Amino acid sequence: MTMPLRVKVRNAETGSTVDMELEGENTVEEIIEGAAGYWEKDAGAYVLRRGKRLLRGQQTVTECGLINQDELELIPDPEGG
Amino acid sequence: MRPPSILSGEDVRTEEREPPPQERQAAHKWLKEDALGRYSKLRGVGFELYLSKLAEEKIRNHAVKNADTKREVMGLMLGGIYTFNGRRYAMVRDVATTDLEASSVHVRFHRESFEKLFDSLDGTGFDYVIVGWYHSHPGHKCFMSSTDIVTQQTLFDLPLHNALVIDPISREIEVYYLDQGTIRARDFAVYWDEYENPYHGTTVRRRMLRSDPNSMAPAH
Repeated sequence: MTMPLRVKVRNAETGSTVDMELEGENTVEEIIEGAAGYWEKDAGAYVLRRGKRLLRGQQTVTECGLINQDELELIPDPEGG
Repeated sequence: MRPPSILSGEDVRTEEREPPPQERQAAHKWLKEDALGRYSKLRGVGFELYLSKLAEEKIRNHAVKNADTKREVMGLMLGGIYTFNGRRYAMVRDVATTDLEASSVHVRFHRESFEKLFDSLDGTGFDYVIVGWYHSHPGHKCFMSSTDIVTQQTLFDLPLHNALVIDPISREIEVYYLDQGTIRARDFAVYWDEYENPYHGTTVRRRMLRSDPNSMAPAH
């Protein structure tokens, strides 16, 4: 069994941050839902990045290679018409 | 397996910062007459949005470059939220974009090009906050479509979040925001930093005109 890890997620629209505790099998989608839910946002309208890399929805924490104290950023994904 | 849990959250304190001085502000040259009138009235009072010359040029060039194909363009507006004398305002210092999936009536970031967007975000060189988004309506004038309104409600619902719409064919520009569920137009000023002043650090000499006999150097 792996130890849970802690990451910081930054809301790029406000600069606010949350500290989250994750398990290896948590998915990126769950991270986005957790953070977006905290800020009362629609999770489906955001993407998550770690540095220059996009974290894909169904990937797990382990598959993404996230490590303790990683800093992630929630980026809006707008649509215009 | 437990879902991710939030341990703590931290909000950012709004920085006290003086807005750009009036001598480094101008109305956007594509503003319509009624917006120009409002700009003149607000100039002495202060705006809720200041758009840097750099960001303005990037947005306009992006839209104009794609005007021939009539495809919409889009990007994120980066800057910060500040307060001065009890008044809050937003500044857009730069913009970021990437490859787009676009038609004449729809636009979004290309699904495989987010890394390029992240590169663009990191390239700004300052701690940005995304204070809104811009997109173009080539030949369709400036307004908020139903898709635009959903985006504003879903992503940019804070009072100082902005939606800039530009029409490079009609040469129009407008900024909108959400006010308790209603879309309203927001007046804004274009500003430039001192180092962007074309005459910064130089002495401008009066040119002597050849047609003016008094200005000609004496013949030897």
